[in-house]
Amino acid sequence: MKQSTNEMIKRIRFHGRGGQGMKTASRIVGTASFLEGFFVQDSPLYGAERRGAPMVAFTRLSKEPILERGIIVSPDINMIADETLLNDQTANVFQGTWEGTVTIVNTHYPASHVRNVYGIVGEIVTLDITEIALNVIGESVLSSTAAAVVCKLTGMITESSLEEAVTRELSSINLKKELVEKNVQAALTCFDRIPETHPHYFESIKEDKKDEIVRLEYADPCLGSPSVYAKGTTKLKKTGNWRLFKPVIDHEKCSRCYTCFVYCPHSCISIDEEGYPQIDYDNCKGCLICFCECPKKVISKDREVRTW
Amino acid sequence: MSMENAAYKKFKDISREEHISPGTALCTGCGGLLALRLAYKVLGENVVIVNAAGCFTLLSVYPYNPFNSSWMYTAMACAPAGAQGIRDALDILIKKGKLKSEENLKVVVLTGDGTANDIGLQSTSAAIYRGLDFYYFCYDNEAYANTGFQMSSATPYGSRTSTSLPGEINPQGTTQRKKDLFEIWRAHKPPYLATISPSDPVDLSNKFEKASKFEGPKLFIALSPCPPGWSFGASNSVNIARLAVQTGIWPLKEAVYGEVKHTVIPKFKPVEEYLRTQNRYDHLFNPVKQVDIIDNIRKDVERYWERYLGT
Repeated sequence: MKQSTNEMIKRIRFHGRGGQGMKTASRIVGTASFLEGFFVQDSPLYGAERRGAPMVAFTRLSKEPILERGIIVSPDINMIADETLLNDQTANVFQGTWEGTVTIVNTHYPASHVRNVYGIVGEIVTLDITEIALNVIGESVLSSTAAAVVCKLTGMITESSLEEAVTRELSSINLKKELVEKNVQAALTCFDRIPETHPHYFESIKEDKKDEIVRLEYADPCLGSPSVYAKGTTKLKKTGNWRLFKPVIDHEKCSRCYTCFVYCPHSCISIDEEGYPQIDYDNCKGCLICFCECPKKVISKDREVRTW
Repeated sequence: MSMENAAYKKFKDISREEHISPGTALCTGCGGLLALRLAYKVLGENVVIVNAAGCFTLLSVYPYNPFNSSWMYTAMACAPAGAQGIRDALDILIKKGKLKSEENLKVVVLTGDGTANDIGLQSTSAAIYRGLDFYYFCYDNEAYANTGFQMSSATPYGSRTSTSLPGEINPQGTTQRKKDLFEIWRAHKPPYLATISPSDPVDLSNKFEKASKFEGPKLFIALSPCPPGWSFGASNSVNIARLAVQTGIWPLKEAVYGEVKHTVIPKFKPVEEYLRTQNRYDHLFNPVKQVDIIDNIRKDVERYWERYLGT
């Protein structure tokens, strides 16, 4: 489904997890476009969930006033800032993508690999912006790096506007000056790493689409107050993919003191028959409280490597 | 409470049974969730939670449910009223012989500090006044954290929230003092009332154990370090709770029918050690150190403890 015939408008969709900075990324792209003289619009969309849960954010830029509102169903640029979302049915990251969509995936895999595994249509670009953020900023916050990649791919935003936008937006959320500078540096690194945009990226949408009003059917009020009868089903959600670092217990050196078990907020550490703590990696969100609290310091943290 | 006759003395006394499954939608490293998980281990399985709207709404997002026991959801203002209805229904069922007394449930109201201090204060006061036999668990993350960390009346002086940003007129951020909910509740002289912290699981467990001996209102205020709202790395949750206790900012105490007793006497580390761990206090140190504001926070802590320790 294509959204409009307005060729002047570019629609950018950001997929990430709460806390990764996609809301700020969409805002940075908006501000950078504004500085280039475009009309812009940006908005995030969260579900009921939060830090670690899938979320989306949208930016529109146009040479004319933007009358379009709401979510972006069919993006021109689709930023997927967390590769674990590729497999997440609820995140539905490929919704409305078409031959003209440029998809960016934050991964260390080459674009061809991602295309083969997921059958992505249209252009595809990959860059491990988490690695860049960790190296340059020292944190896995991706707002400035994701924004930089998108800005470059629009082909319409200059390095100086990006720099100004990163500085403005991050200063406005009270980030310390040195951290803002590191973010600018990370953003410019990403900007350089993405090749000059190919004109093919911006072929205008030919297909026309009638504006449709979605009609809501009558629903029984009972549907609004559902009951759940099954016990303890949240473990089926497998929140292990929220994790960036994985705690690993060295059982050889573990003194079986129970500290990690007692302090795990998410009930992900249990004690086995021999009294050793075992981590439920399917659900461990990677808060690393166990890593910090272990009195013997026998828990290490490993950067999570995704197996596809 | 004296250690000799306490039910819990060390970590190994804490139950290995889990009552909240992994996989909830709550934030990574949530301090409030840790406190609730530890409390649940003492409460056991025969529990019905009456959950007012707040962060912990997300414990059960349809169609998922983390509990082995029951859960009901209410609006912010009326969780204790919901608890009254459930308590009455259980009592009637037992009286009619339709529910065995060993299948009786503990009714637990679960709310955040916004509900406890602001929106649901009236219905809580009424429930304590009526002598309702229930538990109240308040996870105090010191703001309306679920909706973007807006100030509540539990927000501490000198901290930043999204609605009390430090600026030229109010360089300290939040200008008001944190409401003393413990004292408000204590004025009702409930059978049992305590503050708890996820950093002190043994103290927490003993308090829930002790409360179970009383009939009537049993109320708890749990310090709940909030990684996104207080702005710190999730791995630091327990450490920050511990610093709050050790600096004397979060007194661990209980009150039986209004008689207060402190269960932990802190080491009185400098308050700065606590404040510096969280970016919500960053404006007190950067770009210039606001010595007077930090001093006010220190003096508040000193005055509080002078009252109790008589020094």
